[in-house]
Order: sequence, then structure tokens, then C-alpha cells
Amino acid sequence: MSRTPEELPGDEAYTGDVLAGAPAPRVPRTFLAIGLPVLVIAVIVLVLPLFIPSFVASLVTKMMIYGLFGVSLNIIWGYAGIPSFGHAAFFGVGAYGAGILILKAGISNFWLNLLLALIATAVIAAILGVPAFRVFGVGAGAVNPIYFLLATIAFGEILSRVAIAVRPVTGGSTGLSGIPEPQLGFGFRVTSGRYYYLVFVLVAICLYIVWRIVNSHYGYALRGIHDNEKRMQALGYNTWLYKYTSWIIAAVFGGMAGVLFAYYGNTLMPNNMAMVTSDIAFLLVIMGSATTFFGPLVASVIYVGIEYLASLYLKDRWPLIFGAMFVITIMVIPQGLGVFIQKLWKKVIGGSAA
Amino acid sequence: MGQALVTGLNGLSYAFILFLLAAGFSLTFGVMGVLNLTHGALFVFGAYVGLQAIDSFGPFWLAIIFAAASLAVIGFLLYYFFLRHLYNKVPEQAVLTIGLSYMVANVILWIWGPRAQIAQTPDLLEGALKVGTLGFPIYRVFIVGVGLLVLGLLWWIQDRTRWGAIIRAGMDNKEMTVALGVNYGFVSTAVFLLGIALAGAAGILGAPIVGAYPSMGDNLLLLTLIVVVVGGTGYIQGTMLGALVIGLVDTFGKAYVPKTALFFAYIIFLIILLVRPSGLIGRKVF
Repeated sequence: MSRTPEELPGDEAYTGDVLAGAPAPRVPRTFLAIGLPVLVIAVIVLVLPLFIPSFVASLVTKMMIYGLFGVSLNIIWGYAGIPSFGHAAFFGVGAYGAGILILKAGISNFWLNLLLALIATAVIAAILGVPAFRVFGVGAGAVNPIYFLLATIAFGEILSRVAIAVRPVTGGSTGLSGIPEPQLGFGFRVTSGRYYYLVFVLVAICLYIVWRIVNSHYGYALRGIHDNEKRMQALGYNTWLYKYTSWIIAAVFGGMAGVLFAYYGNTLMPNNMAMVTSDIAFLLVIMGSATTFFGPLVASVIYVGIEYLASLYLKDRWPLIFGAMFVITIMVIPQGLGVFIQKLWKKVIGGSAA
Repeated sequence: MGQALVTGLNGLSYAFILFLLAAGFSLTFGVMGVLNLTHGALFVFGAYVGLQAIDSFGPFWLAIIFAAASLAVIGFLLYYFFLRHLYNKVPEQAVLTIGLSYMVANVILWIWGPRAQIAQTPDLLEGALKVGTLGFPIYRVFIVGVGLLVLGLLWWIQDRTRWGAIIRAGMDNKEMTVALGVNYGFVSTAVFLLGIALAGAAGILGAPIVGAYPSMGDNLLLLTLIVVVVGGTGYIQGTMLGALVIGLVDTFGKAYVPKTALFFAYIIFLIILLVRPSGLIGRKVF
């Protein structure tokens, strides 16, 4: 986590070649700074279910799913600088895709389901991306990022309205319920206790892939677009294509979180595509800080925790608390928690390694 | 034919409600570059405050003024405590105002309960206008009139007054305008408050037709966004045009093909984004 868009020296961001070879001498340090905490956290999460009651394990599952959701939005928001407000559209398409495939199309195999739902997400993202990116960025037809923001807010809402309207397929406003436990094949039963591990493995794989993507040449190109799109264009990058593909990539991982969510909750509501859900992703990125990779994961732990506590004690005032989380985040810690943690960790590392 | 006429009039009155709804948003967004996503929730809040005013003291027109004034106060607090610190940071403004809109919606629920409220139309505007054999509610005609009045007023401010000139200059080049010694901050704040007050007034004006319930803010926000994107920002005419297109298409759609009509507004929205992303009459906002 040592290299984030904010911390990149300005010029390096535009030349992937320089960076490709740069971090080589720091390998052991990178392991200490990144590998160790990741490993420790992974082990803790892995053995956690042995020590905690099952409802807490279920909360942790939700944290992992929302964490992936937040990280997927962060691909376009934090790295490419595209403020999408409609990320729930993809979460919802993934979730509904899986739900419809199981309940209406009768495809019970988890892997096939996952694959088809992700393809559906990618297709929807590819379709919505065309009008969305007409208005974003530099060049012909571009208006400004705020229009993009407005358009994406509408996307999720529109899809949720569609989900309400096409009742025979989506169950209308009552949604889909009764999604069975995932069938992994080979007669392996995924009980709710085991689902934790399935989510853990899949989220870990996804996070690793996202990590590789954002730290590849492609990822650095996205950061370059974030910082100065005109310059990237001048350097010969087809910035539209980069943004468009990153949008689809983010959508697919968002859809992945959606599929996991569909199996997690067993019930889907049109709200899972609507603004409310987009706003969750949004809060995760802002609260966790868009400039760090792991920020949304931290935020997701906090968010799910607060949501659970609120559901126990202040159920009726939850939207008030939810809204206040936005306001407090933006007024008190606008750069996000991730940055603090990163600074703190650097101090710890700096102290011990020096 | 007669049916089409009534549908047309219905569509027109709906379009003017949309206009009243979106005008405030378009004003704050196009003029100050403040993305106020609380707009839908504030509209609902205005409706509730107005209804409360009618309940407790008085006549309809007083309720409108009361709603507008209280919303202006809220707008000022919003500006003073929050938006002032987020100048020119649009995504941050969006985050803040999204959060606030949840809070406003929940406060409405807290104070007034979940039940939907239907406002009584004032006695003076009750009844129907007879056109041959067909009746048409006077209140809807009244809404069209108010909408036209607001349109005219905003248009006049925009094109014919010094404030309008300052606003237009500020949209083109804020630094230069400020450098010329114009108190742009004051004017833009005043316009921002005007936009919020307009939302409140629109809330109570629209209440007899669209009703009021705590969670309607999201719907209204979506409608606002569609109207603003279709019409284009920066010009009040654009908002009017967007409202007309969406209002008429939606109403005619619901009258003739009720099942698919739900999607018409969205389809128009997507087509506009594809073909003319700056909106029908739009200009680039900063």
C-alpha cells in the first residue's frame, strides 16, 4: 500500500515504463509493509468463526461482501477519478442475475450462476457506459464530471424501477426471496457456516485481482487519467477506452459482490439496485478514503458494525444515522480513515525497520 | 380529441410541477455549481411545513410563504455550516447532501409519521373548469399559472437584471468576475437561497396534486435529475424545456400505453445523454 495515487510523484504517473522496474529493490520492505498485515488479517478472518457466535460470523461475511463492493467502486473512483454514483446498478444486476438464474431459470450450479451473472453485469455496464462516458472527460461531447455523476445516480434508480416494473421476472416490489444455498457441485453442501469461507476465498481472490489490476501498467494509466487526462491523451493514450474498460471492470467486481450478497441474504429487493445501495458503496469509499486500496474494507467493517448496532437499538432512526455518517465523514475526516491508518502503519514500520 | 386535450392539459400542469421542482435545483447547480442532492428531500420538507402551517394557522398563500421562508432559513444554515466549506468540491458536496437528504427524510418521518398526506386545495381554487363537456381542475390551471410566473421571474432575473448579469459572468469566469469587484459571493448565496426557497414553495404548491410522504424525496430527486439533464443546465429555459418534454411524454404515455410509459422518461434521458449530452438547451457549467 505504499504507492497510492495521491503519493505518486507527479511525473511518474504518466510513464508506466519507469515504474515497471522501480520498486524492485524494496521487495523485503514491501513484504513487511503490505504482505505481513495482509497475511495476519487473512489468518485472523479465517480462524475467526471458531471463536465467535454465528451471527457475528454472518456480520463478518457481510463486511467482506460490502468491502468488495466498496473496493470495486474505488477502482473507478479512487484510481481513475470517475465519481460514479450508480454503482448499485451493478451490485443489483449481479444479485438479481444470480437470483433470477436460480429461481426462474432453474440453474442451480453456483459457478455457472456466478459466471452468467458476471457476464450480465459486464454487458449492462458496457451498454450504460456508452451514454455515461459521452459526458465525461475531455474531448468532443464531453460536458463535465458532474453530469456523469447525475447520469450515474439515475442509472441505479432506473434499474430498480425496471426491477419493480417487470414483476414476473424480478418479483416486483416484493423482490425475490428463497434463494437456496449455493450448489458448488461434487455434492458439497454449503451451509451458512461454510458460506463464510466461500465468501472469504472469493473475496480474497477478487481483492488480489483488483490489487494486481490497479498496480499494473493499466492501473497507473488510470491514475494518470485521474491526475491529468489531457496529458494522458497527449501521450497517446486512448483515455476513453481506459475509462470505459475500468468502468466495466469495476462493474464486474461490483456484480461479484452482488452475487455473493444474493446468496448471503437469500432475499433481494429492488432497493439493492437503488440509490440507497449506491450510497453505501459511496460511503465506504469516502469513509475509507479513495486514495488507499484497503480503505473501503476498513470502512465496511465500521459501516456494518454501526448498521448492526443501529438495528438493535435505534432501528427507526437508522437513516438519520446513515446520513450523519456521510456528513461526519465529509466534515471531519474528508480524506478518509485509510489515510490515517496508512500514516500510523508507516510510523510503526519506520520505527521497527530503521 | 377532447380526451387528448385534457391529457395535454394534465401533462402541462405536471410539466410545470416538474419545472417548479427542478428550477431550484437547476438554479443552485447551474449558478453556484453546488450540487444539492437534498433537493428532493427539501421539496418534501417544504410540503410538510406548508401543510403544518395550513393546519395551525391559516390560509394557503400564507403557507406557501411560510414554507419558502423556512426553507430559505434551512438553506442558509446548510450554506453556513456545510457548503461554505466545500466550495468547488462537487463530489464532496454530493456526499454531504446525500447524507443530509437521508437525515431530512428521517426527520420528516420522525415528526409527522409515515402516513401520506394529501393537501386540500384552497377553497378559491376548488372546482373544475368546464371546457365543453370536459371538466378540468382549476388547481391545475393555477399551477400552470404559477409555473409561468416563476419562469418569467427567473428568466427576467437571468437576462434583464444586474444580478443576472453577475450570475452569467460568474458562470463564464468566476475569478474574473470577482476580480472586477463584483460581490459575487453575496449574489450567488442569495440565488442559492432563492433556489432552496423555491423548492419549499414548490413542495406545498405541488402537494394537492402529487401528495406528500416521507420517502418521496428519492423519486423527486430522480425526476429532477432527468429534467435537468434533458433540458440542460445554466439556462432556466432549458429546465422548462426539459420539464415540458418529460411532463408531456410521461402523461401522454400513461394515458395511452400505461404499461410501457414508466420507461419513457428514462429512455429519453438515455437518448439525450447519447445524442446531446449537454442537454437540449445547455451550456457548459464551469
